[in-house]
Amino acid sequence: MARDSIVVGLEIGTSKICVVVGETRGDGTIRILGVGQAPSRGVRKGEIVDFETAGKCIREALVDAEEKSDVMIGSVYLGVTGGHIAGFNNRGAVNIPEDRDEICEEDFEDVQASAREVSIPAPNMFVHSLLQHYYVDGQDGVLNPIGMLGRKLEADFHIIHGVATRIKNSVRCVKEVGPEVLDVVYNPLATAQVLLDQNQKSLGALVVDFGGGTTDYLVYSDGAVQQSGSLAIGGDHITNDISLGLRIPMAKAERLKIEEGSVILGNARPGETIILKDETGFAGKEIEREMLNTIIHCRVRETFELLKKRLDDDGHLPFLGAGLMLTGGCSLIKGINHLAEEIFSMPVHLTHAQTVSGLTSAFENPQFSTAIGIIKYADAMQPERPSGFFGRMRKKFSFFGLF
Amino acid sequence: MIQVQRNSSTTYDVRIKVVGLGGAGGNVLDRLLLDGLHDAELIAINTDAQALTASVVEQKVQIGRTTTRGLGAGGDPEIGYAAAEEGVEEIRRALDGAQLVFLCVGLGGGTGSGAARIIASLAREQKALVVAFATLPFAFEGRRRRGQADEALAALQRYSDVVIHFENDRMGDAVAPLAGIHEAFATADQTVSQSIRAIIRLMHQRGLVHIGFDEIVTALRGSGETGAHCVFGFGEADGDNRAHEALTRALKNPLMDKGRMLEDARNILVNVAGGPSITLNEVQILMEELNRHISDQTRLLFGAAVDPTLGQKISVTILSALQGAPAAAGPVAPRPAARVESTPVSVTPAPAPVTLAPVHEPMAIERTLEPVEPAIAARIVEPAVTTRIPEPVVVERTHEPVVAARIPEPEIVERIPEPEPEPAPRRVSRVRPVRELEPEPEPVYVEVPAPAPHAPTPVAAEATSPYVEPGPAPVPEHARGPKQSRPKPTLAKQEQMQFEPVTRGRFEKSEPTIVDGQDLDVPTFLRRNVKVK
Repeated sequence: MARDSIVVGLEIGTSKICVVVGETRGDGTIRILGVGQAPSRGVRKGEIVDFETAGKCIREALVDAEEKSDVMIGSVYLGVTGGHIAGFNNRGAVNIPEDRDEICEEDFEDVQASAREVSIPAPNMFVHSLLQHYYVDGQDGVLNPIGMLGRKLEADFHIIHGVATRIKNSVRCVKEVGPEVLDVVYNPLATAQVLLDQNQKSLGALVVDFGGGTTDYLVYSDGAVQQSGSLAIGGDHITNDISLGLRIPMAKAERLKIEEGSVILGNARPGETIILKDETGFAGKEIEREMLNTIIHCRVRETFELLKKRLDDDGHLPFLGAGLMLTGGCSLIKGINHLAEEIFSMPVHLTHAQTVSGLTSAFENPQFSTAIGIIKYADAMQPERPSGFFGRMRKKFSFFGLF
Repeated sequence: MIQVQRNSSTTYDVRIKVVGLGGAGGNVLDRLLLDGLHDAELIAINTDAQALTASVVEQKVQIGRTTTRGLGAGGDPEIGYAAAEEGVEEIRRALDGAQLVFLCVGLGGGTGSGAARIIASLAREQKALVVAFATLPFAFEGRRRRGQADEALAALQRYSDVVIHFENDRMGDAVAPLAGIHEAFATADQTVSQSIRAIIRLMHQRGLVHIGFDEIVTALRGSGETGAHCVFGFGEADGDNRAHEALTRALKNPLMDKGRMLEDARNILVNVAGGPSITLNEVQILMEELNRHISDQTRLLFGAAVDPTLGQKISVTILSALQGAPAAAGPVAPRPAARVESTPVSVTPAPAPVTLAPVHEPMAIERTLEPVEPAIAARIVEPAVTTRIPEPVVVERTHEPVVAARIPEPEIVERIPEPEPEPAPRRVSRVRPVRELEPEPEPVYVEVPAPAPHAPTPVAAEATSPYVEPGPAPVPEHARGPKQSRPKPTLAKQEQMQFEPVTRGRFEKSEPTIVDGQDLDVPTFLRRNVKVK
């Protein structure tokens, strides 16, 4: 049962906890064996705020996944997010020892360590340091310097860091439920692995995961991660806005958002109303469609504008050839791609996981992009596998594909 | 003309003739005919017999039979002019009885540039209103052609009531870069044809909110100036979202620049027409959307009509003219400048109210200007400054900066006697003008002497007094009171009270997300004051 190539991705989302069990194959594709999910409680803005409740939900989701995939889950890769996680770029450099002039693998580790020698806020820890480019004696754009001659190896890294205790809390919460946590993955990085292929990564693409509690973004350009971060704004905020604006309960607001909401203004017939049925038999409430859309529009527009402002600083935005990949639960809101197109002025694709097979219903839903991405990430990161020459080669390539 | 249209329910008695002059004009006529224009007579006028023969228009007038012998004008406006002179009688006959003449012409060539003004003036002889649609050559056609076009345009403007001119270059922009040149020209024709049809329809429609020729003229006023151009957009759509679609299409027009051009327009004419199913709310949606593209100062000439022939469609016509260069670069600048300088002569006399406009409300200015008669001003100023200052200038200078001039008259008049006795004993030289002033009921002059006491010499006082705050001791408290406090209520912006307490809903207890000082957990529509109810 416990096959070597089975990887489990766990995403603790604000609206739902989602476990994806996948089988990775030698050729880099992933087959989804089963998806377990449970509505999430005790999670706000992507972070656990109620340990016990969240634990229960995680267990629920894990059991669900075990049942559906017929796999005992012993270990998981955990996706993390939250407004506290941020990324920046830094360059590391090492001098090659005098006694040799060929660059070998150990120099990689040194250069990565040197890149990490930057000050991040005291309570923070490194989540990822992702390689962008190598420089050998100042020579630009070296992809694989192993075996090259040189005196100095430099490398640009994109470093993602977050508050240590918060990340550890998530890990602990999962561990208490049972399974081991093999690694943590920053959610948008995982998402990008399933949404983007190698070509899109080098063309340049912006991945925006508009989820329930957070909006995560990540910019790939020249095949490497250039920018990443999270905004603690998500679908929950939209629901909250609706609930406050229309004075209806959260649950109703949520349903209204999913079923009726749109970000397009001026589309509703004037005076067009939506009748909210009341289960208890009392007369329902009438809601003006334009009003609903205005509330949603305001929030989504603001979120995109904030994102754009953050992204504008680095100046990658105009050069992203593959455009914007919009995913996450909120990407299901009607018309959101048009609004994104308007604000970011680039083509917007509503995407879901591409390079996987198996349960269609699972990977065609943008809500699962991240969880599947975690598997993909884990697959690329997995330690030595006895798969012969081909597998070893692939590992090397996937290493560069990711970073 | 206008009256006829407004009053009569059947407006079809307006005789419209559309004249296509020269090659470009002929093309437009062909396009019009193909698009189906039935409410007007089309007349093609050309020197080139071959081009005339090719035209599908029924009524054709060949001019310059002897001048050009049936050939073209060869790009020479002189020949075009001579040809038109030769054909005056024929043209006159063709235009006979027209009440409204649309003259379509491509400027830059021989026939168009040369003959346009003659045709326009002939049409005027018939007491017809002349609306000229002129296309200006592409930049690649050379500078000489452009020069000819500009000259011809200037002449045409003298003889036409309205000139709408289209820059071919702008329309070329709208065509995909790889499209053939014929497409670029076709786009130009199409745009002209569309606007003619739209204007004709505007005039023929029996509107709920009618738009007449006067409105059209207002909207296009200024389009004839150099550097100015016409903004035109027309869109038609049906379906669920037709109002939005129609507007989008109208704004997509090559002359519109996606609605960006509208921001600078002063007068915009908008006509919304639809079949019997058009609802008020659809019009509302559409206008709200359009309002986003235009500035607050813009005058909107709105028309609405129900036209059964449109069926389920809604059509939107937007028409406007853009001034070439902003009229006054520094409407605000003169004020600070005036404060510093000591010679009143440099204050611009005539445009003063205009320069003031952005600062004061126009109403206020008018009021302050009205009561001031040059004679009175002269009388007051004389004792102090003698003859140095030309009277009308002084009038404006003395009261223009006095903010308090906006104060309702009676109040000030009552207060004046009180402060006066005080400064009077102090400076004898100042007293005189003040005394003379006393009988004056004008509030404006009361203000002038009041601050004057601070000034050491009469001349300097004259120059600076209006600006010096009466703050320092000599002016009594109660006199100062109104002057200082008055301007404030108009200038100070009242802060908006937030009636609803800041609410974060379900995020009440969670860690706030604060970006750029804004608590993002508070609903966006509340923070941005978007009205949802």
